[in-house]
Parts: sequence; C-alpha cells; structure tokens
Amino acid sequence: MMTAKEKEVIQAIEEQELFTFAQYDPEAAERTGYSDYSYWRSTIRVFLRNKTAVFLLILMTSLVAFTFIQPYLPGQKDPIKIHIDPNTGLQLRNHPPDKEFWFGTNSIGQDLWARLWSGTRTSLLIAIIVGIWEIVFGTFVGAIWGYVRPLEAFLTEAYNVISNIPTTIILMLIAYILRPSFQTMIIAMCATGWLGMARFVRNQIVIIRDREYNLASRCLGTPTGRIIVKNLLPYLVSVMVMRVALSIPGTIGWEVFLTYIGLGLPLNIPSLGNLLNEGRRVMMAPALRYQLFFPAVVLSVITVSFYVLGNAFADASDPRNHF
Amino acid sequence: MMSETCIKTQSTNMNTGVNQGINPAVADGALEAEQKAKKAEVILELKNVRVQFKGKGRKPIVAVNDVSFQVYKGETLGLVGETGSGKTSIGRAIVRINETAAGEILFKGRRINGVIPKELDREVTRKIQMIFQDPMASLNERAKVDYIVSEGLYNIGGFKDEAERRAKVEKALLEVGLLPEFASRFPHEFSGGQRQRIGIARALIMEPEFIIADEPISSLDVSIRAQVLNLLLDLQKKKGLTYLFISHDLSVVRFIADRVAVMYKGRLVELADTEELFHSPLHPYTRALLSAIPVPDPRIEKKKKVLVYDPSCHDYSKDPPRWVEIKKGHFVLANNAEIDQYLAKIDAGGLANEFLWLQ
Amino acid sequence: MLKYSLRRLLHSLVTLFMVLTLVFLLMRLLPVEGYYGERADKLTPAQKEAILRKMGLLDPWYVQLRNFYLQLLRGDLGVSVIYRANVPVKEILAAKIPYSVAFGLGALVLSLVAGLAMGIHMAQNKGLFWDKFWTWYVVFINAVPGAVYLLFIQLYGTSITGLPMLFDRYNVRSWILPLVSMSLSGIAANAMWLRRFMVDELNKDYIRLARAKGMSSRAIMVKHVLRNAFVPLANYLPASILFTISGSIYVESLYSIPGMGGLLVTAISRQDNPLVQALVLIYSSLGILGLFLGDVLMAILDPRIRLEKQGGAR
Ligand SMILES: Nc1ncnc2c1ncn2[C@@H]1O[C@H](COP(=O)(O)OP(=O)(O)OP(=O)(O)O)[C@@H](O)[C@H]1O
Ligand SMILES: [Mg+2]
Repeated sequence: MMTAKEKEVIQAIEEQELFTFAQYDPEAAERTGYSDYSYWRSTIRVFLRNKTAVFLLILMTSLVAFTFIQPYLPGQKDPIKIHIDPNTGLQLRNHPPDKEFWFGTNSIGQDLWARLWSGTRTSLLIAIIVGIWEIVFGTFVGAIWGYVRPLEAFLTEAYNVISNIPTTIILMLIAYILRPSFQTMIIAMCATGWLGMARFVRNQIVIIRDREYNLASRCLGTPTGRIIVKNLLPYLVSVMVMRVALSIPGTIGWEVFLTYIGLGLPLNIPSLGNLLNEGRRVMMAPALRYQLFFPAVVLSVITVSFYVLGNAFADASDPRNHF
Repeated sequence: MMSETCIKTQSTNMNTGVNQGINPAVADGALEAEQKAKKAEVILELKNVRVQFKGKGRKPIVAVNDVSFQVYKGETLGLVGETGSGKTSIGRAIVRINETAAGEILFKGRRINGVIPKELDREVTRKIQMIFQDPMASLNERAKVDYIVSEGLYNIGGFKDEAERRAKVEKALLEVGLLPEFASRFPHEFSGGQRQRIGIARALIMEPEFIIADEPISSLDVSIRAQVLNLLLDLQKKKGLTYLFISHDLSVVRFIADRVAVMYKGRLVELADTEELFHSPLHPYTRALLSAIPVPDPRIEKKKKVLVYDPSCHDYSKDPPRWVEIKKGHFVLANNAEIDQYLAKIDAGGLANEFLWLQ
Repeated sequence: MLKYSLRRLLHSLVTLFMVLTLVFLLMRLLPVEGYYGERADKLTPAQKEAILRKMGLLDPWYVQLRNFYLQLLRGDLGVSVIYRANVPVKEILAAKIPYSVAFGLGALVLSLVAGLAMGIHMAQNKGLFWDKFWTWYVVFINAVPGAVYLLFIQLYGTSITGLPMLFDRYNVRSWILPLVSMSLSGIAANAMWLRRFMVDELNKDYIRLARAKGMSSRAIMVKHVLRNAFVPLANYLPASILFTISGSIYVESLYSIPGMGGLLVTAISRQDNPLVQALVLIYSSLGILGLFLGDVLMAILDPRIRLEKQGGAR
C-alpha cells in the first residue's frame, strides 16, 4: 500500500520526467528543415512499380547483352561466310533451321543465326550513335534556340523551313547524294534526327528559363554557357534519356526503309534492314518465310521495348507522379 | 477640398474629428531627413526611368513610367505599391535584367543602364545584388548549396584556390546563421526560411554595397519573417549595406525602411521619410493605402475609415502631373492645382490627421 | 479571318522560297552520273561535259540559281533522263498525281474517322480492357517501323482475305489494303492524342459537377469532353499531313501504285536526277501547302487558334 507521501514523490518524479522544458537550440532547429526526398530515388521507385516496363527492361537488357557477347560464344559461325553443301559442292541455299544452322541459311548460304545477331549489332550501333548525336547536337541547338534570344527568331525560321520538308524526303535525298555506306546511313540520320530534339529542348527551356533561379544567376553575372549547363540541362536529363529511348526505334525503322528503297547498307554488312530485305525477297514461298520472321521478331522486340521503356521512364521522371 | 472628393469613405462612421495641431514627431522627422540628406552620399539614382514590355498587340506594356528617385548610402528605401504596379520591374532594371526604354540609372554617379563598358559591368554585377521573393523558385534545385552560394565568385574570379572558395562559402553561410556543413546538400532539403537565407548568403559572398530585396519575406511563413528581417537589419549594421526593400506590406516597410516610395501603376506617387509619410501622407493613393493597414486595437479598427482611391479624381487632361519635391525630402506626383492644395495643407500645419491611430 | 489567312499565306510563301533554294543547293550535290542517261558508260569525257553544259550545270552558281527560279516560274520541271528518257517530267507526273492525291486524301479521312472513334472508345473505357487493348495497338504501331509491319499486312492481308496483292486501278478491292496501310499510323496517332486530351478534360472539376448534377455520361462526353478535347487535337492535325506523305511513299511502292511515291523510289534507284529533283520539290511544297491548309481550316473551325497564332511562327 502506498502512502500519500510516496504517491506525491512518485508524481513529482513522473512530472519531472514526463515534462521537461525544451531549451531552444537554434542549431537543432536548423536541422529540422531536412527532408529526404530525392529526385532520382523517387524516379526509380515509380519506374519499378510499372511491371510491364520492368519485364521489358530485363528482356531487352538480356537481348542487347546477348547481341554483344554472341560472337565470343563457342560454336558461332561467321555471319558473312558462305556455307557450301559438302555433297553437291554448291552453296547451301535456303537451308531450313536445324541443329547445325539454328535459324537456317539465307538464299546464298550464309548462317542466319550469326547474321541476325551481327545485324542487330549493326542496327543498334547506328541507333546509338544517332541517339548520342541527337542528344549532343539537338540539345546544343535547342539550348541556344531557347536561351539566346537574339538567335531565337532566326532558329525558329530555320526550323520552320526544314520541318516543312517531310523527313523521308530529306533522308532519301542525303542517302542518294552520298551513296550508300555505313557513314552515309549515319550522316543521313544524324542530319534529320536532331530536329525533333532541338525543338523539344527549346520548348522545355522556354518553360524554365524565366524561373527566378535563372534570373538570380544572371544577376550574379553567370555567363550564358554556364547557365545552360548548370541551370537548364540538369532539368532536362530525364527527358533527354526518354527521347533517346524513343529515337532508337525510329532510327532502326529509317534504316529498314532506306534499305528497302535501295539506299541502305552494302550487302556485306548485315543489318536488320538488310536481313528484312532479304527475307522480303523470298517471302512468297511459305517454306522460306523463316528468313523474314526471325529478323522481324527480334526487331519488334527491340523497338517495342525501347518505346515502352522510354514512355515508362518519362512517366517515372515526372515529379508529379512521385507522390 | 480636393482630397475629400478624391477619396470615398467606406465606413459609415462619419466622425471626422479634425486635429489641427502640428505633430511634433513629423517636424522632427523632417528635420532629421534634412540633415541626413545633406550628409548622405547618393549611391543610386534613377532619372526618368521607363521600362516597357512587348504586349499582345502593337502597344507595349509600360511597367515603369518616368520614375526618378535617389537612394542614399547606408539607408533602406522601401518601395511599396499594389501588385502589378511595377516594383519588381524597377528592381530588375537596376540589376539590368530588364532593359530600360528611357531614362538613366546612375550607380555612384556612373550610368549603368544601356550599353556599358565591361569593367563597369563587372563592378556593378558585384556591388549590386538581389534577394528574390520566392525561395522555392530562386534556388537551382539541381545544384548543391556549395555551388549556389559560390556561383558569383566563379563569375568574378573571387578566389585564388579551392580552399579560399570553401572558406568564403563557410563564412557566408555562418553569417546568415546556417551551418557550414549544409554546403554539401541540395536545396530541397531545406525549409523556406533556410532557403531564403541561402539566397542571402549567395548575395553576401559578392561583398555587395547595394542590395535589392524583392519582397524577401512575403512568401515565408509568418513565424520566420521576423527572423529574416532581423538578419537583414543585422547585416546592414555590420556591413553598412544599402537596401532597396520592395514590399506590399506597409507595416513591414515601416519597421525596416528609413524612407518610403509609393508606386501606383508604374509611377511613383509619393516619396518621403518613413515617419513623415505615415503621419502626413499627401497623395490620395498613399492615404488610401495607409487607411487599409489593420490596427491591433479592435475599438480603433471599428471606428477606422477605409478609404478607397479613385484615380478619376485627378483632372490631368489639361494640366499633367509632375514629380515635385513639395517639401524638403518629400516628393509627390501632382499637377499645379494639386501642388497648391498640398502646399496650403502643409502651411496650415495640419497635415493629414486621419492617421493618428497609426501612431 | 482573311487577315490571318493572308498572313499565314505570306509566311508559307517565304518558307516555300527558302525550301526551294535549299533543294537547289542540295541538288547541286547530286551525283553527276544521274544526268547522263542510259549510255553513261559509253560516253567520252567530252560528251559528258557537253551534256552537263547543255543542262546549264557548268554555269556559275548564281546563273544556275536564276535559271532555276525562272524555270519554276514557267512551271518547267525539266526532262527525265532515264526513267522515260527525254519525256518532260511534267508529263510523267500528270499521270501519277491523281493516284497519290486520291490515296493521300483517302488515308487522311480514314485515319481521322477511325482514329477519333478509337480515341473516344479508349477514353470511355479508361483503364479497362479496351483501353489497354488499343493502347497496345498504338504502342505497336508507333514502335515497330512501318516498313516491317506493312510488309506483313501485305503478306497476310492478301493470303487471308484474298484481296489482291498489287494495285489495279480497275479493281476497287485492290484499293483496300494500301489505303488501310497508309492510315494505320495516323489512326494510332489521332487515337492517342484524342484519348489524352479527353482524359485531361474528364479530370476537370466541371465534369464532376455535371456528373453530380445527374447529366448522363453520354451527354457529358458529347457536349463537353469531346468538344473541348478536339481543340488541342486540331492544333496537332496539320502536322499529320507530313506523316501521311512519308507513309505513302513506302506503301505506293510496296503495292506498285502508279503514284509519285513509287515513282520517287524508282527514280532514286535508277538515278534519274531531274525526276528526283522535281519530286523532291513537289513533296516539299506539298508539305508546306498541307500545313497551310490545315492551319487555315483549323482557324475557321476554332477562332481561338486564330488569336493564339497571330504571334507569328507556329
Ligand atoms: N517579362 C514581362 N513581360 C511582359 N510584361 C511584364 C513582364 N514583367 C512584368 N510585366 C508587366 O509589368 C507590370 C509590372 O509588373 P511587376 O512585376 O514589376 O509588378 P510588381 O509591382 O512587382 O507586382 P507584384 O507585387 O505582383 O510582384 C505588370 O503589368 C506585368 O504584367
Ligand atoms: Mg514583384
């Protein structure tokens, strides 16, 4: 049984422990402003919520990885070697898929499996080079267009002129002028690809260029170049990643189209365009349609993956979707 | 009387107890201002400045029209006016973000608007700094505090080596009451008040003489406004800074400013010593503004009349208004007829009396 | 209205002038073999030079440029050298243009009608099966190059439905596949944009209010959502003309339609420079004309655009 006195003491102790006066500590107060929101972490979190995108990311990463390690795997054939039938001494034409030639051979006896991966490599390489150029040059022009006001009218007019000509026509014309080759392909697509990017970057910059922090930089006398690099471009990284992801299917498509009209890569360089074109020539014979299917399937998986991933990333990188 | 026709009373209370006595505080204030003006050196002067923007049609939007005033070294000049009156445009014209369409801006006697030599440009960039209204928008979210604060130093080559730059950043952060370790963080990790102080540190590191504070506390939480205001006052005392303090909150301006300029639709309508302006405003617009200040005493608040300014009361068709110094240190926008009225009012000794409750 | 159209027309003409000049400059870079005709291998260097001189290609550039403009003003597009040697390009084109125009307009209308229907269907079923289904259609069409899926449409479209594989102008059934092929990407684009704008509109407060007031969802769709969603869509429509042009070149060639697109592919593969030049000029002008007509049409439909665009550049 507790005495009244004991109760009092306990109460006093409890009060002391439960309610202590907080001292004002300015330093501690400073620390409370802290929030641990991180742009990139949130972007990744939102991206990972998208199941389809994650699946395609894994699928595509393995596919691309495989494309690049395939030549070093054991038992791989040379993509341009023409195989000879030992019985007849003739080219091993249109040999259907079997244990030896996994995807069969084409109409002059080359191994389709090897050609397919080699062609995918070529097409991806072109797409990536063009994509990088698109980022570098498109962003450069777009940044100047959006931020350097004296040039704005001129660049707008130039854009209007070029964008009025259908891209197809420009591509065909350049490829025609320069004659088909690997470089031509890249130059033609670099010549047109940056336009969309430049306009895109410009529109983004117009949106953010008059935000107060840019005015602050101008007050501090920061040169235009550094304002673009430090204040504007970091805000565009995510949208640029998305644009490149979306440009890859486009570039692959143009390569196929140019090949179709006879302005593609030389035949001794396998590419998805060349393979599809070879497949198209024999597609009327149902038994030979495998030559069209294999490249078409690989191409579709790659383009759809990049497209979906680009869009999923765009959604994930939008801060509005972070909460 | 002109001021009676100019201003409509919104209160039903018709009690206009007229007090004709001279207010001693006003007289003192005027005297002080006079002495100060004699001694003080003019650091910044605007002469008939005009700022305009391209409008939708052919007609440009005139944001600042024929504005002239002087700022003395070491003082705080408050600039008040309703939203859209052109306060920010003046501030930005001084730091040369907005081009001037006419007039001159002189900094220590040298013209700094229009085309100026490179080295003057550098000097001005360094000596005139700006503090922005919205701390959420005025910091680059993708740069670390370290870069944000030292950005200006990079531009003027303000350090010999990395160590010196770090030391300067640290000092600037300490001066505004932030911890040096914050340098390695990103702006989104801070509260509004802290961000505003980062903005102040960014200006301070340039060792400026003149700072334009464009509504530096209006987007802050009420609880931390005083903190930032006190910081600004402390810094002014320590470093002898001159402020152009833009605000639409008259109580804040009265607290911080030595003199106050009132702006209406792109023009200055009145400029005077703070106490003089608050006790004896001349221009009907100023009087309307002052009447709208809330008073903490409910009894007074109830009796108080809120005046509404009606610009059509001026008849400027034949006799356009001028910017005149009607009394030493007291400027007002008025035409000849109005000047006579104002002078008569001053002579009568009883400047406005409706504002006694403000004291 | 008239004022806007005139201003827009003037802008188009300036653009056209610059595009023509640009094309001229590019044309001077064309491989010269494309001017010699069939017997290129057998010609002596002197003969080759004579041909170039006769075509005015050895004149100083400013003379060439002047002649180029003068020729265009007269409506002279030059003479084909290989495709049909010595026949004026104009004559060759006269027979081809009607097909291209018929298919182009047909595809535009089809992609508009089907695209809008699909977009409405998606918005109405937002988040449900059909929305996802059509979304996959849009993704597939946008991602996979037309050069690939159109090939399969030709292959299986003909074998499954029994439609003819090549174009035959007297057989109406042979029009179906190319027309559908040309429209697929337009349908996808129109559906995607309309869905996006409609969903934006559906999320607005006034729609919720209309619902709360008991307005039927069909009436809401028609009266508010569709009408308001069409405005941003209209802004985007003129540009779709360019896509249609791009798409038609491949499809025409695939189905052997005797239009300009197929002709361009042939002219390039056979190196007929004057023909290539004429077609490039026509296609570029078509792009400009299309954008102009689109803009004016939209300005008639929606006065808001007129006001917005008075600022100048599009
Ligand atoms: N960049 C600009 N382009 C066009 N008009 C502008 C621009 N900046 C300001 N204006 C116009 O100039 C006028 C004055 O604007 P300003 O921002 O100087 O007003 P303010 O007094 O600072 O208002 P607030 O209290 O809202 O900040 C306004 O009518 C505004 O619309
Ligand atoms: Mg302002």
